[in-house]
This record gives sequence, C-alpha cells and structure tokens, in this order.
Amino acid sequence: MPIRLILRRLLQAVPLLLGVVVLNFALIQSVPGTFLDVMTAEQQVTDPALIERLRVTYGLDQPPAMQLLKYIGSVARLDFGYSYRHNLPVLDVILAHLPATLVLMLASIAIAVLVGMAAGIVSAVKVNTWWDSAVSAFAVLCFAAPSFWLGIMLIILFSVKLGWFPVGGMVTIGLDGGIWRQALDVLHHLTLPAVALGLFYSAAYARVMRASMLEVSRMDYVRTAYAKGLTRAAVVLRHILRNAVLPIVTLLGLQLGAVMGGSIVVEAVFSWPGIGGVLFDSVMSRNYPVVLGILVLSSLVVIVANIIVDLLYTRLDPRIKAA
Amino acid sequence: MTTTTRPGRRSFLTRSAAGGLAATGLGVLPRTLLAATDNPGADAGPARKGGTLVATWGGLEPQALFVPGGGGSSPFQTSTKILERLLKLDANLKFQPALALSVTPSADFRSYTIKLREGVTWHDGAPFTSEDVVYNVLQHWKPISAGIALKSLTGATASDPLTVVLSFNAPVPEFFLNSTLAGQYQLLVPKHLYDGKDLITNPLNNTPVGTGPWKYGKWVRGSHVEYLRNDKYWKAGEPNLDKLVIRWWSDPASRGAALETGELGLAYSNPVPARDIDRLVKTGKVVVDTRGYQNTAWTVTAEFNQRRDIVNRREVRQAILHAIDRQFIVDTIYYGRGKPAIAPIFSSNPLFFTEDVPRYAFDPKKAAALLDAAGLPVKDGKRFTVNLLAAAWFEENAKLGQYLKQALEDVGIAVKLDSVDRATALKRIYGDYDYDIAVSNFTSPLELVPTVTQFFTTDGIVKGAAFRNATGYSSPEMDAIVGKLAVETAPEARRALAAQFARLASTDVPIVPLVEIQSFTLAGKKVRNFTTGANVQGETLADVWLQA
Repeated sequence: MPIRLILRRLLQAVPLLLGVVVLNFALIQSVPGTFLDVMTAEQQVTDPALIERLRVTYGLDQPPAMQLLKYIGSVARLDFGYSYRHNLPVLDVILAHLPATLVLMLASIAIAVLVGMAAGIVSAVKVNTWWDSAVSAFAVLCFAAPSFWLGIMLIILFSVKLGWFPVGGMVTIGLDGGIWRQALDVLHHLTLPAVALGLFYSAAYARVMRASMLEVSRMDYVRTAYAKGLTRAAVVLRHILRNAVLPIVTLLGLQLGAVMGGSIVVEAVFSWPGIGGVLFDSVMSRNYPVVLGILVLSSLVVIVANIIVDLLYTRLDPRIKAA
Repeated sequence: MTTTTRPGRRSFLTRSAAGGLAATGLGVLPRTLLAATDNPGADAGPARKGGTLVATWGGLEPQALFVPGGGGSSPFQTSTKILERLLKLDANLKFQPALALSVTPSADFRSYTIKLREGVTWHDGAPFTSEDVVYNVLQHWKPISAGIALKSLTGATASDPLTVVLSFNAPVPEFFLNSTLAGQYQLLVPKHLYDGKDLITNPLNNTPVGTGPWKYGKWVRGSHVEYLRNDKYWKAGEPNLDKLVIRWWSDPASRGAALETGELGLAYSNPVPARDIDRLVKTGKVVVDTRGYQNTAWTVTAEFNQRRDIVNRREVRQAILHAIDRQFIVDTIYYGRGKPAIAPIFSSNPLFFTEDVPRYAFDPKKAAALLDAAGLPVKDGKRFTVNLLAAAWFEENAKLGQYLKQALEDVGIAVKLDSVDRATALKRIYGDYDYDIAVSNFTSPLELVPTVTQFFTTDGIVKGAAFRNATGYSSPEMDAIVGKLAVETAPEARRALAAQFARLASTDVPIVPLVEIQSFTLAGKKVRNFTTGANVQGETLADVWLQA
C-alpha cells in the first residue's frame, strides 16, 4: 500500500512540476531585463557584435516559447541547463548549495517542532494559568519578530557580546581534524541560524498544539481514561498527545516550503552558504535556468516530504487510510 | 602604520598627490624605467611573516573568480590575487612595474615597447613570456575587455621572449596607455591554457592560473575562496601571509559584527553602511581608511534622456539642477560620507580636476523662475510630469529617488518615481532608454578616456551597453574635444582639453554627478599595509602582514 501511494504521488508530481516550470518561466519572462543585460553590464561588454554573439550562444535570440520547450526537453533528460553566471551546469550549482540549506531546514524544523510542541503542551496542561499566558506571549513574540531581526539580535548577544558562537558561515575556515570535530564545528555554526529560523516557526506549533490538546482533552475517551483511574500524566502522554499531534504533522508538511523560503533571509544574515543566496542572486540577474532548477528541486523536496507526512499520518492514526 | 581617518585627510592626500604629479610632469613616467618610489601608503616596520587573513568587500560573491570582461568589483578582487597586470598605479599615483619593467613610447607615440620581467612563471610552472602578452592584447583585451581603450591598436608583436611592441594608427598618450595597462580589466591569463578556447565561458575562470603571489586553493560556493602562498613568486619573500581567504557576508550588519569579533580582518569598498562606521571605530578593534580609491572614484548621477520632450532642453535641465540640494543629499543619505560633486571630473582627480565650471547652487526660487522663463509655468497644479527611474541596486539610490521626487515637486514638477532592481534598471536605462531622468552611478578612474568621456560622446551611444551614453547626448563640439583628448600626448595640453570637456559637460548637463561618494576600508587593528595602491580592490595583498 505505501509503495503504491508513493508511486502514485510521485506520478502526480509530474504535472505539478511542469506547472512550476511553466509558471515560473512566464513570471521571469514577464519582468524586464534578461540575463544578457546583467551580464553585459557586469562584464562591461560594449561591442554590439559580441553582444549578439552572446545572445545566440545563450539561446536568447529564440522566442520565449522555444526557450521554454527546449528547457522542458532538457529537464526531462535530467539536464537542468547551464548557468552562464557560474560557468557551471545548474545541477552542480544546486548540489553545491543544497546540502547547507537542507541542514539548516532540518535543524530549524527540529527546533520549531520541539520548542513549539513543548510550549503548546505546557500551555494546554496549565490552561488559564500564568504558564499559559507566558507561552502565549512567547508565541506572539516569536511570530512577530522577523527572523532577520532575531538573527541580528542573536549575533549581537551571542557572537559579539558573549563570543560563544561565530557570526556566520558554516565551517571554520582551515579547520583540520576528523569527521566528528568537523561535525561539531558545523553544529557550532548552525546553532544561531537554526534558532533564529526555528523560533519563528515554533510559534505556530505552540498555538496549534495548545488548541489541539484542549480539543482532544474534551473527548469522551479522555474522560473514560480518567474514569479508569489513570494518572493525569498517563492520560496526557498516552491518550491526548498521540491524537493531538496529528495537526502538528499536517502543519509540518505545509511548512516545509515556507521554511525553505524563510531560510533565504536567515542565510543572508548568517552568510550560510545555502541555496537562498543563489536563488536571490539568480532572480536579480535573471539567471532563469538556475531559478527554475532550484524551484523544481525544492518542489520535489516538498512533494517528497509531504509523502513522508502522509505515511506518518497512517502510522499515527490507523483509522486514516491512504486514499 | 595603519591610520584612522582624520578631518581633511583625503584632501591632504589629494593635494600631496597633486604636488607629486606636477613635479613629475603630470604622472608621466621616466620612459625607460618605471620609477620605484617610496610608498606613502605603506606601513613602516619590518613585515611579520605568517598567519591567515580573512578579507571581504561591500558586495556579493562573484559569478566566477575571473571574468574576462572585467565583471565588476567582486571578480576584480578575487582575480587580482592570482592574475597580474603589467603595471600598478601606486598610492602616489605613479606607475610601478609589475609584470612589465618598462613601457617606452616611440617618438611619434604610435608604438610602445614593453619590456617584461624576467624569470616569472605561471603557477603551473610554464614560463611567462611575450607570447602571453600578445595573446592577451589581441584575444582578450582588444575584443573583450578594452575595446574602446585600444580602439586604435593595430598590432601586437613579440620581438623576443621578453619584449612586446604595440602599434597604433594614431598617437596614444602615455598616461592613457599606462592607465590601460594598469587598469582593472587588463589582467594577464596564460596563453598555453586559454588559446583556442572560449575565453568567456572557460571553466578555468573558476580556478584561475596566474603569475600572482597567491595560487588558487579552494572555492566553497556561497562562502569563501582560499588562496595558497605562491612560494615561487617573482618578488622574493612575498607574500607575507601563509594563507589568504576572501569570504562573503551578504548582510552588511553581519559584516560589521564579523569585524568586531575578529572573524573578518579586512573589508574593502564600503562594507558597512556609513552610519555604522563611527560605532565600529569606537570599539577600538577596527580602523577606517579612505586611502586607495583615487583610481576608482564613485558617484551617484542624474541622467537626462535627450530623447524625451522637455528634459531634452538644456535650460530645463539647468533649472532642475537648481532645485536639488546636494549638500542635503550628502548629509542625510550618505551620513556626511561624501561631498557635492562639481563636474564629471572629480575633486579627487589631481590630474584633470578643475573648479572652473558652471555650478548650479541650490536655489528653488531660481529653478522656478528659470522654468517660468522656459515657458513651463505651473498650470493645474504642475508644470509637467517626468518619469524618474531610480536604479535601486544601492539603497541610497532609492532614497535619492525619493528625495528628488520631493525636490522636483517643490518647484512644481510632477514626478512618477520607479525604484527598480538591477536587471530592470539596466534594461530600462541602457537598453530601452525608458525614462526621463534616471538615478544611476558611475566610477571614474584618473584617466578620463574612455570611462568618463563615453558618457558624453556620440560613439558612447551603444544601445544595450550599460554605463555608457544612455542619455543620447550628441554634440559635435564635445566629440571634437574628446577626440583630441584621446590622441593628445602633451600633458599640459591634455589638462586644458580636460578642462574644456568639464566645462562643456557642466554647461550641457546631460548626465550630472550629484555626489562624490566617499569610499572606505575597514580593517582589524593588527592588519598592516593593506593600502598601497590607487585602487585597493585590485591589491594583490602580497605585502599585507599581521602584527603580533
């Protein structure tokens, strides 16, 4: 069953990805300026013959529809094109940056889920107490504070004032040592950006968890559990939590795309060498093969993540069958 | 010793340099040997060996470590650690030998003989010879990176392994040619690795092989590039450091924090907003230095599209200039880090600067009166409407657009303001000519031809080419002045022609520099000798050292 589900969902993804390509290609075409405008400006190219040669070389002399068809054809062969700006195949550009973004995303989602769930549980268990108010205030603050501002505040406090964490980057340049030392070094660099991104999203998890816990608490089976003489801790852990966690899983699937978007800003603040900076620069330089390549691959990541979420669903609540 | 900026320091240096240039015949070199002189930008004391320096600049990661056409400031910085030029313009504004020992003109200035340094090798061990220079002149500089500067070049020949002769079909001023050879775009790449391949798309541009003090080590995309010491560098004993790293911080606030924590040692080209400089200096960990930008002076401009009604009238442009308070722009938008511009030749250019040009003092009443006199009175609440395009590749440009909108509306001109991103601005200003007034920028080297003059000449109108004559201004008188400036070889006569150019440009005002933006470098207190040239972005950093 899960295999059929996975295959079906992956097949459904094909028209979705095609839509992503066509829509984004149209969007990029609709804004003024082409890659060649930026490139010739940056390279101070003035010779009209050279500009024309470059236009032909890069296929910009073709009508947009033809460029799109060629692009779709090459993507079908798993060729994402060539980034003129980087002098590299698009896939190489993406693969050089994607791991850093995935690490940041996973770490920040882990922080968001753990902090958010813990806060939501406390809030629900201690409903209408000052604990509840404190968690609500925390959630509002986290959600209201833009992650770039939070990032800069974290840098000022933990890097500049206390000197505990580096200001930016993913590794200490020139660090020698084994894999564990290097992993710890990445963790050291990862902490602040992951917290900056994770805290922002933890607010939503806290609010959803609280609401879900309170809703489940009013169910008959919870009352029955108490009537059986179970302790409050046992009821909360074994009966309420498992059922209340389902909306969190839903939120997780929905937020993956948003976290990827949010990481663009945090990556800029912390000079995290992820895909965000490349995407931003590629949009600004109209380097559409890279923009489309990143969007296709990130869409794939979101689709695969949602398939995993669906599988989790069926595992957590057997009543839900894969449709 | 590294110094902090003091009031008047920049003007002091400018005057000193001007005096030095006057004494040496306007910077013209002894013809058989390029003079080795004391370098006032260098820090005294024996250089300490060893250590790693992390440097950055006020912009983003380059598209490739070397971009054959130039590619702007970012690849200029990454490539100049590995690839070298024939000459270097020092902080005293004198040309120093780099890969060329001498550049000697013929009596009629129609040919130049270049003697190359002996014993130089490329990083892969191949010898550097005159064949490399000929290849670069003919295949790299002339067709790609210096087409206008080398327009009159007719040939380049290697008469022996260390001698190259350049031939021209017109006289070429010595300062002009030396400026070109020391220029941002005249880096030398190895013929044996590039010949027969596309220079622009060559993968080697990401892992350059040069003759410089640093060898390519590793490029971690999105993060940094590491350079390794070239132990066989032609200048014995250099580089002083063991390792050099250029790293990119995309957020200026993070750049400032990294300087404060010591993670970043050196940051060129306005790495933080001007408002943060004083705060960083007060920490006692950072120094600021405004030296080293003479050959890359920076301005923000207003460009008037000559193809559009109303702004194509000179009296209207002159009236509009009276409505603009340049000192206000300096004080509020640039936090005092700049000065009102006088003319296209900047006050930091001791070679050609003149104050004898028409000025347009801030006087809104006069602006209104001039517009009335031009037959453009206020009717139905406005005189006319202009489309103002601000190229918002810098946040200051967007702010300037907002200020200009207000300033012009104060004299009755309705303004439709568009602040647009880089690609849109490039297309609308330089591709489609779709604007009435544009806020843009240009950078000016000391030599005016062609970088500055091409904003005003008819042959500078190249549709689609950025940072050229986008206004469409065309004047036979201007073309004649620039034509003479390009071929006049007597320094005093060139200075007089430059003054004529400045006066005409400031009379016709098709494109107007509004503010000379102050450029600055920030460095950790222990970093020494980081400014020794007239364009710090292209320093090799071979002589930089770290104090214990």
